[in-house]
Amino acid sequence: MAAIETDYAVWLRGIEKRFPGVIACDGAELKVRRGTIHALLGENGAGKTTMANVLAGVYRPDAGEVWVNGKRQTFRSPADAIAAGVGMVYQEFRLVPSLTVAENIVLGAASPLLRVVEIEEKVAELSDTYGLAADPSRPVWQLSMGERQRVEILKALWRNASVLVMDEPTAVLTPAEAAELGLTLRAMAVDGRSVIYISHKLDQVVAFCDEATVLRRGKVTATFDDLIDVDLAELAEKMVGASEVGTIKRLKSIQPGHAVLHLNGISARNDRGLPALSDINITVHANEIVGIVGVSGNGQKELAEVIAGLRKPSEGRMILGDQDVSGASPADRYRMGLAYVPEDRLGVGLAPKMSVVDNAVVRSYRSHRRGIFLAASKCIVFCKGLIERFGVRVGRLSHPIAGLSGGNLQKLLLGRELAEQPIMLVAAQPSRGLDVQGVVAIQGHLADQRNNGVGVLLISEDLDELLALADRLLVMFGGRVVGEYGPDVTPRTILGAAMAGRPPQ
Amino acid sequence: MSEAALVGLFVATVQFATLVYLAALGELFAERAGVLNLGVEGMMAMGAVSGFMVGLETGSPWAAFAAAIVVGALVGGLHALISVVLGADQVVSGLALTIGGVGLAAYVGRNVGGRIPETQFTDMSIAGLADIRWFGEIFFDQPPVVYLAVGLGLVSWFVLARTRLGLALRAVGESAPTTDAVGHSVMGLRVGAVMVGGAFAGGAGSFLSLYMAPGWVEGMVAGRGWIAVALVIFGAWHPGRLAFGALLFGFTLALQPRLQSFDIGLLGVQVNEISPALLGMMPFLLTVVVLVIISWRYRHRPSPAPADLGIAYRREER
Amino acid sequence: MMRPVLVRRDRVLPATQALGFVVGIVGALVLGAILLLVSDNNPVEVYERMFDSALGGIDSLSRTLERATPLALTGLAVAVAGSMGLWNIGAEGQMMAGATLATGVAMMTDGLSGPLLIAVMLASGVVGGMVLMLGPALARSYLGVSEIITTLMLVYVSIRVVEWLEVGHWKDAGSLGFPRIEEVPAQAALPGLFGRVNIGALIALGLLVVFSLAVSRTAWGYELRLAGSSPNTARYAGVSLRRKILAALLLSGGIAGLAGAVQLTGTEVRLTPGLSNGFGFSGIIVAALALMRPSGVAVVAFVFGAVQVGGQSIQTLGVSSAISTILQAMILFSALAAVVFFNYRVRWAGAASEHSDV
Repeated sequence: MAAIETDYAVWLRGIEKRFPGVIACDGAELKVRRGTIHALLGENGAGKTTMANVLAGVYRPDAGEVWVNGKRQTFRSPADAIAAGVGMVYQEFRLVPSLTVAENIVLGAASPLLRVVEIEEKVAELSDTYGLAADPSRPVWQLSMGERQRVEILKALWRNASVLVMDEPTAVLTPAEAAELGLTLRAMAVDGRSVIYISHKLDQVVAFCDEATVLRRGKVTATFDDLIDVDLAELAEKMVGASEVGTIKRLKSIQPGHAVLHLNGISARNDRGLPALSDINITVHANEIVGIVGVSGNGQKELAEVIAGLRKPSEGRMILGDQDVSGASPADRYRMGLAYVPEDRLGVGLAPKMSVVDNAVVRSYRSHRRGIFLAASKCIVFCKGLIERFGVRVGRLSHPIAGLSGGNLQKLLLGRELAEQPIMLVAAQPSRGLDVQGVVAIQGHLADQRNNGVGVLLISEDLDELLALADRLLVMFGGRVVGEYGPDVTPRTILGAAMAGRPPQ
Repeated sequence: MSEAALVGLFVATVQFATLVYLAALGELFAERAGVLNLGVEGMMAMGAVSGFMVGLETGSPWAAFAAAIVVGALVGGLHALISVVLGADQVVSGLALTIGGVGLAAYVGRNVGGRIPETQFTDMSIAGLADIRWFGEIFFDQPPVVYLAVGLGLVSWFVLARTRLGLALRAVGESAPTTDAVGHSVMGLRVGAVMVGGAFAGGAGSFLSLYMAPGWVEGMVAGRGWIAVALVIFGAWHPGRLAFGALLFGFTLALQPRLQSFDIGLLGVQVNEISPALLGMMPFLLTVVVLVIISWRYRHRPSPAPADLGIAYRREER
Repeated sequence: MMRPVLVRRDRVLPATQALGFVVGIVGALVLGAILLLVSDNNPVEVYERMFDSALGGIDSLSRTLERATPLALTGLAVAVAGSMGLWNIGAEGQMMAGATLATGVAMMTDGLSGPLLIAVMLASGVVGGMVLMLGPALARSYLGVSEIITTLMLVYVSIRVVEWLEVGHWKDAGSLGFPRIEEVPAQAALPGLFGRVNIGALIALGLLVVFSLAVSRTAWGYELRLAGSSPNTARYAGVSLRRKILAALLLSGGIAGLAGAVQLTGTEVRLTPGLSNGFGFSGIIVAALALMRPSGVAVVAFVFGAVQVGGQSIQTLGVSSAISTILQAMILFSALAAVVFFNYRVRWAGAASEHSDV
């Protein structure tokens, strides 16, 4: 037995982890050989990130064992995992913006006296070895997302991690950057380190990885020791389960109606004051879902905010229905028929600490007034109506909304936005992070709206969702719309090239 | 106006600067670690009374100074316990520390108020330098605490900029979750920084009761703790700029009681006609102005203010 | 190895804060008793005297209410800003500003009748507090400058202004060179109700009720809570954050200014640099203990008023009145600690036996 265990860089054995109301891991196992890149595959909510967090010492498993490099480990904190040689790169980077690259890298792993010049030289050396270009003396807040990811990898290498866990690493990268990342990871594997690559992007997994473990609902559904001859469809089937393959059916096409939203030459800046959108021209018609395709960070967020009225464009006009709403407030736009489901459900769409009722009336409280007072009874009736119509499962209406599950939050949010028959719906990442039922429900609502005459602008990172739902696809890159495609006639390779800013001529 | 009066003004400037610099340097550690401590006034009061009382008992100013440092650290530890360990609001806890600390100091010192001090620091001239005209008296013929403050300023700069501990402190004030994730103890760093801050404030308080105004009188800290809080912001959380600010604030403090005697015109204003009260508000007004300027200049990039200042951290145990 | 871990309760018990406050009072009394014992005082005797002088009889009660009035007003001032997640640390200064403007107006208007003069002075109190808050409010809403520091700094500015007026332009000619400001006209004194209580107490109570309703029941209050709880959601709902921040802070400053004017016309007779007397700072603790709820402010202000009155009375026993400030701080500390323990439960986390075999 001992001989087998030592062969693995990582062996997670029989991991169980429960959260209130959810079983994230249900006896899952992960075996990673030394010097390999191992894909941990699964849909959102399959338990991938939970497994990774168990390995990284963030969660304690309710049951199961963690073995790293042949040693049984009981991690009490991330520090224990780091000491055992596990490095984790999260989707949301853990960097201190005001510190320099070098300072971030050595934070927690420096000698008592900092010899800045020496450290910066060593960091430069390390980044050369693995092709991770990063200027050690620059403050992190000045770096792009791709550069920040490199700093995170350097952080793990500085600690001489023998196992590197990367959670959805390419979500913030351009295809070119993603390819570079593949080379870096390969160099690490050749060096004898192991990489656990968490993703649901199958094409990348097959291109980068040696082996794979597929999770579904907290259980392992398949393992692959060799990905060379694996069929993508087979992987996909293991991920989503045989019965659910193809649950998202292409919507039947219908004749789009009149234009409901028209963006004319919109340009805008991001929070840092840099150009984020330039000369955007988009028209959305009734009975139509327009999908926005793109690697995140190419202006999608700013586009949604400009349309919702939360971000002032520096140039351009916007027509909603038949009125120019360029200067209108978010509330005015809502009154004129614009519904908006923002990317950040809690914090933008919903106020986490306020009650279910208070959140339900965010858009409509002005119509529940009685004199200067807000009529509690009217608010409750309205809230109950939403809950019933959209099948939201809630506890007590007076409890903070943050207690609801992701799917129910999203249903309430969507329901609130659709309550007053909008003509136009902007939905940003509406199904991200939801369980399968939640995704199906939300996608169903989007399709219903479109079939009932609403124009929908759907911003998503999930290409499959867009290919299934959208009537037209617009690809965004660098704050511009670089191409328009019909979803049923466009090969993925062409979309991929366009997403990388190289649309075929 | 005599030359002696002018030199006296600057001698006092250096001493007042030392007083507020010590306390502010302590507050700087706490704030760089992400903990706002509005209890400086209370910690200084406790340092002042305990320093004076231990001085009465032992006859040694250094023992008194050490006692004040320990007491200051313990009082600061109360703020750390409430706001860092238990995660309560830092603003409220700090204010209560000021109110309670000033009250407790008054209570503890109720029987020694007005006692004649038998122990105090004496001036220490530095051979060779103290004889330089003007400068010698102003900078090199001062009580040892003044030199200590200069040394502590340099050490603080070095610790923050050039050591692992300092890097961890700066990081925990900017982003506690990140610092936790790399294996530093957020709680350890913050509790330590707040207690060091308390020690500095306690020491500063005893400098008041053992040298600047020997003795103990209720309320003798008289708002200097708040000036120290202001100074941290005025100095943009940097030990060096803090020193510059301390000299400026120290000058206003030293000038206030002397204004009447300065029968000169400056920029068309007769100095002795300026109200001491108006001069006294300058540190606070200047701090507001500096804060506004900082906010304006750094609106598109990380400001020198620690990003996690005032935010309690608790790792979510799931 | 077993070790304690604090686990946040899934649901916070509704009565937690009230219970925490009670525990806080008890805890403070215990700590105070220890302090008294150490210094050779009889805590029972001291507490008995404190209780008697603060609550034992109508006259005592009136003293407590007299003290509770400015605490309730400053507590409310802090709570109004606090209900939007803002900290007005400068109520102390706004009290001074309110009292200063009220004094100035009283000096300028000659021969107004009592009620009119009172109304004018109280109104100028509100305006004075708002004026001092204007800078911090604008800086916060347009530049995002922390209102915590700006409001705090202006406390000392406003106290220095009074010191300056005291020896300068407003120095009472009849004070024989002693630096002090003239008393406000006799007809400006707030009408008394009973004992030492004047209509200032009613004004405070009325405002507490009005704001309680405004924050929890009106559309304006809903917008305020929304903006405080989740600023981005508020923008989305069409609420102007800037205007809400301005409104909350200016109202907060105005109420604190009113506290100053009430203190001037009701209790003190002239403007002094000590008029605010720590009420502004205590008000912050009152509001924090009341979780920024106006109804809670009334209760906590009353308790703090009683502690302060009791604290003064024990001087006759030879006990320092500083006990009262210590008790106030201790109530807060123990209550904060108690609330944390109510909101969390301790779980003994057992790490499985550690072994590593190869």
